[in-house]
Amino acid sequence: MMIESLFDYFNQGYVIQSLVDTGSMILFFIGFFGLLTQRHIIKIFMSISVMEIAVFLFFIGNIFDVKFTAPILGDGHDAFVSMNDPIPHAMILTAIVIGMAVFALGVSFAIEYYKLTGKTNINDISEMGER
Amino acid sequence: MNFKRDIPSRTYSGFALSALFILTIFNILLESGVSKTQRAGDALLALSGKEGVANAVTSVVVYFRGFDTLGEIAVLFIAALGIGLMLHGDRRTEHEESNYILQKASKLLFPMIMLFGVYVMVYGHLSPGGGFQGGVIIASGILLLLISDGSFEVPHAVISVLETFAGISYVLIGLIGLLVLDKFLGNFLPNDVAQMGRLFSGGIIPLVYIVVGIKVGSEMSMIVQNLIQRSDDD
Repeated sequence: MMIESLFDYFNQGYVIQSLVDTGSMILFFIGFFGLLTQRHIIKIFMSISVMEIAVFLFFIGNIFDVKFTAPILGDGHDAFVSMNDPIPHAMILTAIVIGMAVFALGVSFAIEYYKLTGKTNINDISEMGER
Repeated sequence: MNFKRDIPSRTYSGFALSALFILTIFNILLESGVSKTQRAGDALLALSGKEGVANAVTSVVVYFRGFDTLGEIAVLFIAALGIGLMLHGDRRTEHEESNYILQKASKLLFPMIMLFGVYVMVYGHLSPGGGFQGGVIIASGILLLLISDGSFEVPHAVISVLETFAGISYVLIGLIGLLVLDKFLGNFLPNDVAQMGRLFSGGIIPLVYIVVGIKVGSEMSMIVQNLIQRSDDD
């Protein structure tokens, strides 16, 4: 009984949206903090990835509505009515693939730079004659 | 003049981020509960019923914005090309014996992962999944083989043939649609709404998603192989 009332509370639209928004913002700022404080180059790429994932979660969770179903027919649904918006899903699908590709490319640059100079700390990168 | 290095960046950025974070949370909690009156996807949801595809996300990705998906695949191809340029030529010099359990389990699991990837790819217009997801699952199977078998290499010739075939067929399907129906990626195959929910339905949409899956799978396999084949100089 207690569990059911808890489920009923969480099954309201604004509760889920507040939870998802707050959680994705926490995740975003974890990534942002890592981006500002870490000096290892691969850790910086990982922080950017965490920020990306937070944005994906924010989009998908914000468009989600408990009254609607997933935009797929089947399981008794035979018409495209009262379904969630498919456009953010398609957009985030694109963004995930592009983010992965960019992350892999950045990591390959970092590996090549480490092989060339033996440095991973971005404070030590001084090829531009800054120091 | 070395003052730039001496800023305790952790302290300052910690304070600034905490303030920003609290402000954002307040903003979100104040704004939550705003009712959405009209959504961008309602028109596309109404149109999706006419194409004979059960998965609206697939019809949006492959049909309504299929040209953007072509560009996205081009971006993925350019990233794979850059990674190949950066890391090419690093061959594994010594083959480490991997764990016995890993060797045997990968032999058992690899066909199942491949089968699951092909299933996700082919049923992309009926269920959650599609070409991108299936291709990545297949690449994860290749990754399992690469970390378990020290002498395994992804065959370059097969991958390049598959990738070229997939890219050319995507453009060819679009051009045939342009010739037949006077619009790029027009749905020229029979897409009867009565067949919705079956495997052979939706016209060109499952074909395009299978082609996308082949291309993504081969590109991901090449990326994984280029990243894992490190010479042990460090």
